[in-house]
Amino acid sequence: MIEIKDLHKSYKMGSNSLHVLKGINFKAEAGELVAIMGSSGSGKSTLLNILGMLDVADSGAYTLDGVPIKDLSETKAAQYRNKFLGFVFQSFNLINYKSALENVALPLYYQKVGRKERQEKALSYLDKVGLKEWATHLPSELSGGQKQRVAIARAMAAEPKVLLADEPTGALDSTTSYEVMDLIQKINDEGNTILVVTHEEDIAHMCKRIVHLKDGVIVEDKKIEQVRAEQYV
Amino acid sequence: MFDRDIWQEIFHTLRNNKLRTFLTGFSVGWAIFILVMLLASVNGMQNGFTGQFNDDATNSIFIRPGTTAKAYAGFEAGRRIQLKNDDFDYIKNSFPKDVEYISARYFSGTTARYKSETGSYSVQAVHPDHQIIEKTLITEGRFFNTSDVINKAKVAVLGRKVAEDLFKKEDPLGKFVEFNGLPFRVIGIFTDEGDDNAERIIYAPITTYQRIYGNTNDINQVVLTYNPTYDLTKALEFSGKLEDLMKRRHKISPEDQAGLYVWNYAEAFDDISKFSSVLNAISIGVGFLILIAGIVGIGNIMVFTIKERTKEIGVRKALGAQPKQIINLVLLESVFITALSGFIGLVFAWIILSLIGPTINTPAFTNPSVSLSTVVTATIILIVAGVLAGLIPAVKAANVKPIVALSDK
Repeated sequence: MIEIKDLHKSYKMGSNSLHVLKGINFKAEAGELVAIMGSSGSGKSTLLNILGMLDVADSGAYTLDGVPIKDLSETKAAQYRNKFLGFVFQSFNLINYKSALENVALPLYYQKVGRKERQEKALSYLDKVGLKEWATHLPSELSGGQKQRVAIARAMAAEPKVLLADEPTGALDSTTSYEVMDLIQKINDEGNTILVVTHEEDIAHMCKRIVHLKDGVIVEDKKIEQVRAEQYV
Repeated sequence: MFDRDIWQEIFHTLRNNKLRTFLTGFSVGWAIFILVMLLASVNGMQNGFTGQFNDDATNSIFIRPGTTAKAYAGFEAGRRIQLKNDDFDYIKNSFPKDVEYISARYFSGTTARYKSETGSYSVQAVHPDHQIIEKTLITEGRFFNTSDVINKAKVAVLGRKVAEDLFKKEDPLGKFVEFNGLPFRVIGIFTDEGDDNAERIIYAPITTYQRIYGNTNDINQVVLTYNPTYDLTKALEFSGKLEDLMKRRHKISPEDQAGLYVWNYAEAFDDISKFSSVLNAISIGVGFLILIAGIVGIGNIMVFTIKERTKEIGVRKALGAQPKQIINLVLLESVFITALSGFIGLVFAWIILSLIGPTINTPAFTNPSVSLSTVVTATIILIVAGVLAGLIPAVKAANVKPIVALSDK
């Protein structure tokens, strides 16, 4: 599903150049649930941004579902993001003046899905994350966990190939975190490919594979026994 | 463009920032208000000027003899030129294609008497075409016609004041009034709005007057209107030709300006229309400069809005919004504010003009108003202005890097 080869990325900080990714080689098959771990500054967010086509690598190859991601125009990148990727952020990034339903429907709007179909689809995804009753509520009326679930529904609504979650539990307490992880596991059970960036050990162990990043290189890449989040909920 | 979601978002931002929207919109509305008022004022001045001239057909030419200032063809300078019936016939027959209406004028004065009332009036003895050339407005009866002229009929058309003076409350039509002792039948009354003195004259057939009071072929002036399809160039060319031929006929030097006057209204009208088009250009210029201030204001606010919504734009981009969709959103919002507030300014100006415009009626300034074309132009200008105001902010928004916008730090 995802394949990257010898990925390099550096940022210019004034006169200094900060080498963040120093040759990453990584491969994820369809249906995997991968945790990308590392301390802050290890390059895990940069890696996720490049995977999410929000940032461009300096060198190296990136193939997503057989499509080479290279030299994309803004418009093309937007189309690919819309078609291939779903994003879940630490701070949810819901649009505050849109209801939960409208937020979930937004990626469908950019897919040019008709208004009625869009709302039906969005509602079914909200139902899936257990928030059907909250469809008309604004994000400000939802709890943190609910917000993140809306965000997950939004990411899933576009039916992406890969779900990218950047510290999805970073702003949540542990119980809510497990709820969110439970949801992510269930989505993964349905065969979706998910990449989770986290620095929390327990969250990482709820994935099926842990990739450890340190100083811009992968230091460890192991398959693990998945801890189901269900038991803590 | 007619997407419900986009409008929903636009209304949302406007609703959340009422004061900001109002202040921004005000500058544009005000600019359009001033622009429309300026254009209406120029229009009022133009109406005023045209009103001064609308006594006469705008395509008229006057020919009046003078006294030569230059010796020419064996004649000394200082010779008085006299036009004759021949000159009238000559012009009439030589330029059948160029001349629309033509009349000679023979000026005289008379003491008019009806019963015990008498008064001195000037008489213009003319041809029937004169009515059309001078736009004489007949309120009762009729103007005299060709057969009156051929028959040298003793008929007269009185100015409203003349009729009032002589007949008091009686109906003058069909009554006989004495001009220097000879009875003339009153066949019509004319009026001339705005000028009382123009209503103190009497029209009579030229042939009658030439025969009765002087037995002469002399005429004082020739007035004519040229083919109304002529543009200015052609009109001037025609009056030039007329002047040359008439000067040749009367042996006046072509360079002699005093021997014969040929005056073409087109020239005066040309001057006026040039003048008012300059005024128009100035007011459009001033209006535009004010409008630019408004546009900058809107642009400024839009840049601010974009900055505030950077994160939201980043989210949209991450969800697959294309740059052009973002540009659309911003442009539409900008066009909407500009067009709406400009339109309010326009309507406001229009209301004021339609309330006070018709009450203004002075010689130099009459009924200032805006034409439909001004309204349409202003609307187009507004939409263009809105696009211009939104352009920089929109591009700025489209260039928002989702990664920067989304960084939680």
